[in-house]
Amino acid sequence: MTALLRYQADLLLRSQRWLPPVILYAVFLGVGVQSGQPVLDSLGYTAAALLPVSAWLVRICATGEPPAARACVAAARGPARAHLACLLTALLAAVLLGVAATVVVTLISDPWSNGHRVRVPPPRALAAGLPAALACALLGTAVGALTNRPVLRSTGRAVPAMLLGALLAMVLAGSPAQAAVSGLVSGSQTGRAPLPLLPLAGAALVTAAAFAVAARLAARRSP
Amino acid sequence: MAPVHRDLRLTAVGRRYGIRGPWVLRGVDLTVAPGTLTRIEGANGSGKSTLLRLLARLDAPTEGRITGRPRTAYVPERFPSALPFTAAGYLTHLGTVHGLGRTAAARAAHTWLERFGADAYATTPMARLSKGSSQKVAVAQALLGDPELLVLDEAWTGLDAAARAELERAVAERTAAGGAVVFVDHDPRRLAGAPDATYTVTDGALRRRSERGGTADGPVTLVVAHGPAGVPLPPDAARTVVSAEETSPGRHRLAVLASHSDVLLRALLTARPPWHVVRVEPAGASPPDPGSRP
Repeated sequence: MTALLRYQADLLLRSQRWLPPVILYAVFLGVGVQSGQPVLDSLGYTAAALLPVSAWLVRICATGEPPAARACVAAARGPARAHLACLLTALLAAVLLGVAATVVVTLISDPWSNGHRVRVPPPRALAAGLPAALACALLGTAVGALTNRPVLRSTGRAVPAMLLGALLAMVLAGSPAQAAVSGLVSGSQTGRAPLPLLPLAGAALVTAAAFAVAARLAARRSP
Repeated sequence: MAPVHRDLRLTAVGRRYGIRGPWVLRGVDLTVAPGTLTRIEGANGSGKSTLLRLLARLDAPTEGRITGRPRTAYVPERFPSALPFTAAGYLTHLGTVHGLGRTAAARAAHTWLERFGADAYATTPMARLSKGSSQKVAVAQALLGDPELLVLDEAWTGLDAAARAELERAVAERTAAGGAVVFVDHDPRRLAGAPDATYTVTDGALRRRSERGGTADGPVTLVVAHGPAGVPLPPDAARTVVSAEETSPGRHRLAVLASHSDVLLRALLTARPPWHVVRVEPAGASPPDPGSRP
């Protein structure tokens, strides 16, 4: 598995196809997050924006490898494991991006709640923001895994389904991402930084199931 | 390390795409045993590639069963060069995917690029390789890890003459080392005389066409070797030769497929006690025309 992950990660890095989503994420944060704003509010924004970016990273990993090259790797390790490596690489990239963004946003934001009422120390904010970002990265990759090859194979269906899936994962009540983000936003009003561990656990479960479905299907569906 | 060899067995296998799609293959029974060479024939679109994808376990059958999971390597008929690696970088990655350590993978990558005459392109980005050169990378990728099952889907297409001959020799080596090789190729002379079994795919069904014949119709090399008097040929050598004849005590005149001559020589020279190779010459053009000899 290590060899597969290293291969997929190198493929992602060298392809430079990660640049557009990362730049878009940076621009999005640059517009939405200004230094000196309440930290928890900004962290909620940071986590929410990570979700579609994570789904996009999955799409890049799942479609970046030419089918013939994918077949060579799949013959050696099995299509399921090859696809799992591809999904895990996207998840890893999303988590790295989310952690970096969360740390930067925590450092530049105002360590107070809305209206400068209650102080939220940066370590406390970080402890609330990191699990939320992680939950969004997980759920975003789950959406990406279920809306790209091998589940949906035509671009015409995959991209709209992915965008719709990301939107629903963000706004539907009961979604772990929605719970984590709204926890941060309401925490910014009360000044109590929540620890979104339950949403994180939920997101991890959903993602594990989504990865299992996609990897299983990869072994059953020819290109 | 002793590789664990297992038969790959297809039982009543059928495959179709889509729930109501036509059957591409149906009722296929096939066993691929270690150390055998299998040729699959058939017209374009007859389902050969689907069969090879099933054998490489890239695809699952719609019905029937596939058992056995040898360490497999696959060469697709057309290999894309749209990968952001150098040839050596890609092969090193694939070597580790095939289970080699990183240094062993890098070394194997260079060895195989050299064997196919592509070592000059080791540091060339794959995107700049010609079609033939990227096919060499595809073939090298499959041979890196000494697979137990090698599946070649028209792997010779696009290779130059030297690389085609080298791939035939590599296939002979693989089967001699106990690996199974299954191939599709449109050239009837490809490894002629060597396959242990030839199958034809027609109308989605697989028919066995021939057993291995005693006579080869491929190019043959004659080897004259000297061994201890009264001692039979080493078993590895006896398996490889097309015909053997003891011309005088201890002196053997062996005919072997040109692609398999290296395997025969290796078997003779590594036998205990080793045999002495007196002469190696191409057959067929006897008396050989001095002008046309390589």
